[in-house]
Amino acid sequence: MTLENPTMTQRAPTQPGGLAALRGKISFIDLMQSAGLMAVILLGCAVMSFLSPVFATVRNIENVLQSATIIAVVAIGQTFVILVAGIDLSVASVLVLSSVLSVGLVQFQGWPPELAILAALVAGLVIGLVNGLAVTKLKIPALIATLATMTIARGLAYIYSGGTNIAPVPRIFVDLQASRIFGVPGVIVLTLALALIAQIVLSRTQFGRSVYATGGNPLAARLAGIKTERVIIATFMISGLMAAIAGLLITARFEAGAATAAQGMELAVIAAVVIGGVSLFGGEGNMGGMLLGVLLLGLVQNAVNLLNVPPNWDSVVSGLVIAAAAALDVYRRNYLEAGMRKKVIAAKASKPAKQP
Amino acid sequence: MSVAEVLRPDEPAAAECRQVLVAQGITKSFPGVLALDNVDFDVRSGEVTALLGENGAGKSTLIKMIAGFYSPDRGDISVDGVPLHADPASAHRIGVATIHQDAHLVPAMSVAENIMLGRWPTRYGWLSVGRQRQRALAALAKVAPHLNPSTPAGRLSPADQQLVEIARAISEDSKVLVMDEPTTSLSPPEIDRLFGVVDDLKAKGLGIVFVSHWLEEVFRIADRVTVLRDGRLVGTRPIAELDHDKVIRMMVGREVRDTVADTRPIGDVVLSVSNLSRANVLSDISFEVRAGEIVGMSGLVGAGRSELAACIFGIDPYDGGSVTIAGEAIAPNDPKAAIEAGIGLVPEDRRKQALVSLLSVRTNVTLSLLDRLTSWGLLSTTREEEIAERQIRALAIKTPSSKTRVSTLSGGNQQKVVLARWLARRPKLLILDEPTKGIDVGAKSEISELVIRLAREGMAILLISSELPEILALSDRVLVMRSGRISASLSREQATSETIMSYATTG
Repeated sequence: MTLENPTMTQRAPTQPGGLAALRGKISFIDLMQSAGLMAVILLGCAVMSFLSPVFATVRNIENVLQSATIIAVVAIGQTFVILVAGIDLSVASVLVLSSVLSVGLVQFQGWPPELAILAALVAGLVIGLVNGLAVTKLKIPALIATLATMTIARGLAYIYSGGTNIAPVPRIFVDLQASRIFGVPGVIVLTLALALIAQIVLSRTQFGRSVYATGGNPLAARLAGIKTERVIIATFMISGLMAAIAGLLITARFEAGAATAAQGMELAVIAAVVIGGVSLFGGEGNMGGMLLGVLLLGLVQNAVNLLNVPPNWDSVVSGLVIAAAAALDVYRRNYLEAGMRKKVIAAKASKPAKQP
Repeated sequence: MSVAEVLRPDEPAAAECRQVLVAQGITKSFPGVLALDNVDFDVRSGEVTALLGENGAGKSTLIKMIAGFYSPDRGDISVDGVPLHADPASAHRIGVATIHQDAHLVPAMSVAENIMLGRWPTRYGWLSVGRQRQRALAALAKVAPHLNPSTPAGRLSPADQQLVEIARAISEDSKVLVMDEPTTSLSPPEIDRLFGVVDDLKAKGLGIVFVSHWLEEVFRIADRVTVLRDGRLVGTRPIAELDHDKVIRMMVGREVRDTVADTRPIGDVVLSVSNLSRANVLSDISFEVRAGEIVGMSGLVGAGRSELAACIFGIDPYDGGSVTIAGEAIAPNDPKAAIEAGIGLVPEDRRKQALVSLLSVRTNVTLSLLDRLTSWGLLSTTREEEIAERQIRALAIKTPSSKTRVSTLSGGNQQKVVLARWLARRPKLLILDEPTKGIDVGAKSEISELVIRLAREGMAILLISSELPEILALSDRVLVMRSGRISASLSREQATSETIMSYATTG
């Protein structure tokens, strides 16, 4: 039994004036939906700055954000895939493959670094294409198809690198990590720029609209003239590309072609995306929420480190926070909807319903 | 929890006219919509109460409340004095069973497991297959003795699935049985059988709520009629005091006249289908539809009408033949190509095939128009909003705003959203597949008038409908299909219910 459970913002009657006009321009509504998550994050920050003197330092915050960038970039791609009701487990392996290629092709094959980077990105796109084709043409469930490519890509990365990290990295990675734009680390700016572009693509392009329609009702989307298979393939390719870009970021951060990094990262990415309000059933969610989900997980990781939680307990703590965040999000939605309903009753009571 | 195996045969005298379910002062609102406003409703044992109203009148909300899915903002519901809590399990416990429009069975489980769903009998803590079968058989004996309890429910016809749900209700010892448009997917003999079952249950003292858009059925089966309009109670009357016209007047609050198409200039050929064939589905189909012409397509369910529409619109591939629009051939199996060539399709099942329920009215209206709204790669949301607002006004779509989720609208208004999508695009040919299915009388005549207006403006219309009055009132020409072929092409003068039915069944 599917009962409609619309969120309050989309059902709210339009208010005339400034706010309504703004809504047309940017996805202000979508940002509002993330208010609850934002509140949790701010509360968490307040508690942490009280508990740990190190927390509220520029250095620490920068550190949190920098390590969040890698997951965030992967999560951008994952969001596209989950919006079409798919899932991509291969992202962490693609990231590793991209990382070892970007360094290895320079070290072992003597390619120019730019070409090696290009090859790494192409590798991500190709694996995404394979995932997309497997899901749409061979009709393999996304979970299984990407589980296969996850294993394959990780294997290829090990074979190519010999199972160890490859160093030193080309100069360009060192520069990337050290870069600052208006005092903000370049990787953070890059991540935000990618997320912004992704959000514009989602909310303001034909492709983005097709993604929501395909995830929400693939048959209706096809009958409306949307090439749903192409849309699905494209989302997997975006996911592959983003994972490959994240591979370059991890190369810069670790200053190595990181063959053994990012174990289990695909699950952290999926958790962040879902906490960020992207529905696993497809058709619902946006980049703003996703970024907040990533930020929350990053903060928890940071808190666990700063508070000296015993190493074996940190994953338990992270898990609890994921569950709590998800529960709180559900509660918030229900609460807001109930509040909205009361307002509508009051409005209706004051004027009689008109007869058409 | 104890489960009565057999329905208690109430004393007929005691069963008469006793109120089983009482709902008082029910008020319920959703954001932007006051769905029910102080509605009183009751069900009596041994009676069928028909719940009528146009789409959006509040029937579904009331039923969902009785089934425990929604809680009323104000008002109480009780069954034999026991208050209902807003929880489907509570509804079942106090004796309300609801049969929803589409069957809710677990397809992979057997008929017996479905009948005993969630109440599987155990013995010493282990599931007892024997007892389960026994109880299922006892319930089946009353409604569907022809069914085998070990068949997986997914293999049954929709009619049989519905009977399994009724059997479940009986095995639960329900006092009130709510049937929400139970005949939508049934054939006439299946409907007869269902009504036989309903009569039996009535005689056994169950209170039955029957929701239907088919007034003929209501007059066949109901003892009392309760009519809602715009969330308010219009009245409850014994069926004997009412006739067809009175009921419609109660439902729409005004007289509804039949819409009949007048003659209008017919232009050049728009759609030309020649020798279209698809193995086991369609054979050698050829016909034309001209600009400004309304071509009705009649035939029995399964004659291949929707399949033909699917081939023309590129949803399904075909083996031979061709489809052209204004002389240009359309690539097969590509809805996008069909849309770009100028075809629009309003499919039979709007929720499954046309609407993305998570998205807003606006987004659903413009879903086939995105190519025209894009400049420099970006969608123009201002133009999108303009188009959506214009269509909402033009079709009088009842919605709080263009940003409202389309799933919150009533059926008739959802159908208007699908129509608006195509009107915004102005196709050369519009295919309407059962456009008024599950839609109330008022919205029906609005849609008929719209079809005529579009034809007058020069659109070619292919109207697929199982309702003969609709076909006869609107069509300039009627094509009759039988077993994947066109068995007759009748002019307006030749087309009568009798000729159409004879070609549909034996032509």
